[in-house]
Amino acid sequence: MVIVEVQKLVKKYPSFELKNVSFCLESGRITGFIGRNGAGKTTTIKSMLNMVHPDSGEIRYFDRPFAGNEADIKKRIGYSAGTVSWYPRKKIKDIVSIVKRFYDTWDEEAYSKYRSLFSIDETKTPLELSEGMKVKVNLVLALSHKAEVLILDEPTSGLDPFSRNELLDIFIGLRNEGVAVFFSTHIISDIEKCADDIVYISEGRIATALSKENFIQQYSGNGESLEDTMLRLEGGAVHA
Amino acid sequence: MRNILRKEMKLSASVLSYLFILFGLMFLLPGYPILCGAFFVSLGLFQSFQSAREANDIVFSVLLPVAKKDVVKGKYLFVCMIEVCAFLLMALAVILRMTALSQSVVYRSNALMNANFFALGTACVIFGLFNWIFVGGFFRTAYKFARPFVTFIITCFLVIFAAEALHHIPGLEKLNAFGTDDIALQLILLAAGVLIFLLMTALSCKKACEKFERIDL
Repeated sequence: MVIVEVQKLVKKYPSFELKNVSFCLESGRITGFIGRNGAGKTTTIKSMLNMVHPDSGEIRYFDRPFAGNEADIKKRIGYSAGTVSWYPRKKIKDIVSIVKRFYDTWDEEAYSKYRSLFSIDETKTPLELSEGMKVKVNLVLALSHKAEVLILDEPTSGLDPFSRNELLDIFIGLRNEGVAVFFSTHIISDIEKCADDIVYISEGRIATALSKENFIQQYSGNGESLEDTMLRLEGGAVHA
Repeated sequence: MRNILRKEMKLSASVLSYLFILFGLMFLLPGYPILCGAFFVSLGLFQSFQSAREANDIVFSVLLPVAKKDVVKGKYLFVCMIEVCAFLLMALAVILRMTALSQSVVYRSNALMNANFFALGTACVIFGLFNWIFVGGFFRTAYKFARPFVTFIITCFLVIFAAEALHHIPGLEKLNAFGTDDIALQLILLAAGVLIFLLMTALSCKKACEKFERIDL
């Protein structure tokens, strides 16, 4: 079932442009959003969350436009912005105690589970955390309110290989529970490990949006790894 | 809105915003331009904007399950809450000076402005100007606040200077009334000040919501 629709998103900056970005996210699927630095991944994700105001296009969640239903829809979304840290001198537990009040669906059990899985010390402040731990704190917040869609901007950046592996396993578990997971990355092995679908953005344009199997079938040569395929595509700037 | 206000109070606010409420008691100082108290309260609020910006507060707030405009309303709500607290302290000081201390020599011989309802109304105008110039100016970018704050400082001190000077102009002596003298005029001036505060705050908030909606974070 399609639960997020991004339709003909256009955003013009003086030196960059998102050009008619369109794709869909389905429940129970993991979608990897891939593209090189500056390709438009973060602008697209920010537009999906109303942090960037698109020049045109529409974002729909759960068959409702985001505009006008922002608060209700956000309650059903989990979002993590990688290593960005909020309130560097506040204790994690104080930040969490405020955040959880915004969600009727806050799941204290899930919060404790993920907090202990990621070994997060609630008495620390973001200032005392490594970049990887900041990512984990953001992820725990995103995972603790029974979100139906997770939108994650480079969630694996800064994580050690073990934590990355654990996180990708969590994605798979959430997918099996029907959650749509959408994450941007430039680590191809993350996509290889867990993504069902691939949305590939290049120079502000969606080059292709396919299931992983179809993507490999369409673009990969014999014996070519996904990473080699992506490097070749990016070098040739293929637009499907 | 209760949750967003709680977030403002516990995460975004600087402790100085709360401490500087006490400057409302400057209305008890004789021989001092008492309206500077309103300026210092605004200075305390400015500290909250500064620390909130350092903490990525605006982006954090936008990601919470609230409409983007509610982030703006939350800020205004917090600012107004601090201003109302300071106003209540000032009002307490004014009532003390109008009643129990109305015959006090230090206040009677005070060359500067007397703490009366006119002063209280003018403090409301200063708070309204802070909301209009500074808070409204901040939400044009949700990042830059130096220019709006400098503009506010200049405007604020012009208002303080004017308020201090007015009662020296022949015919306007009543503005400096002591005790319950000219109470009707005093109450009208207070009501006018409150009305200006409400109008400036409401219009500024509405405009800030519209501007903030279009800002890219």
